[in-house]
Amino acid sequence: MGRNVRLRLESRIAYVDLVHEMAEGLARAMGFAKPMALNIALAVREAVINAIKHGNAMDASKQIEVNFEQDDGLFRVRVLDQGAGFDWSHTANPLDRENIFRTSGRGIFFMNHFVDRVEFQRRRGKGTEVVLEKRILPAGRAGRGAEVIKRRKG
Amino acid sequence: MKANARHHGKVTVVDLSGKITIGEGDIKLRQAVNSLLDEGRKNIVLNLGGVSYMDSAGIGELVACYKRAREKGASLRLLNPNGKVQDLLILTKLQEIFDIYRDEREALASF
Repeated sequence: MGRNVRLRLESRIAYVDLVHEMAEGLARAMGFAKPMALNIALAVREAVINAIKHGNAMDASKQIEVNFEQDDGLFRVRVLDQGAGFDWSHTANPLDRENIFRTSGRGIFFMNHFVDRVEFQRRRGKGTEVVLEKRILPAGRAGRGAEVIKRRKG
Repeated sequence: MKANARHHGKVTVVDLSGKITIGEGDIKLRQAVNSLLDEGRKNIVLNLGGVSYMDSAGIGELVACYKRAREKGASLRLLNPNGKVQDLLILTKLQEIFDIYRDEREALASF
């Protein structure tokens, strides 16, 4: 059974740190070690930046929604925007020699590196959803996190 | 993010601390390096020892600084990337591009 924490925010870069801190804190509460919690937070951070910049095109009147879920031994984060959608399938490999000097284009690369699964879904007329998943290890500590999330939810 | 420049003869060391991320740290890094390049400084060392982490925008700005320095005939080198910052430089293969030093004296002597 899933337990959710949901944030709904205006599309402002100033809120990226807030989401990062929440992702890192929840990951720690679920039992992830500090370096891994930072990795997860960095992946979430990049998903939120993408949603604000490329999804909602920096339009502060459009919202982003971030759902944090602990479910079936997974920490799942869903980031939704309200934009026209962006093409995530043709991103250049930032490790290719011709791209190494590019000053952008590493966000999705970081997401893919720092969590176990990244999935993009275009929602007809409703923007894009990015799903990030990281398996919770060790399983023995996951229960503590569940309690924390339940408490936060009130 | 904080940036504090120290001059050692012809070399400037910029001590960076905090995080280099979108919207603040990346802008401060850009301003710090642009300011030195505008002053005509040709030898710049970015001391990353106090930087806890960067995101894609911070990494992108680091690359942008490197390119701007080269365009202006200057040289930009890195000192002491630690922990997550070092991980990101390795992950992005940028450690193959940047000249990276562990010891400030070596960095100063490298120009």
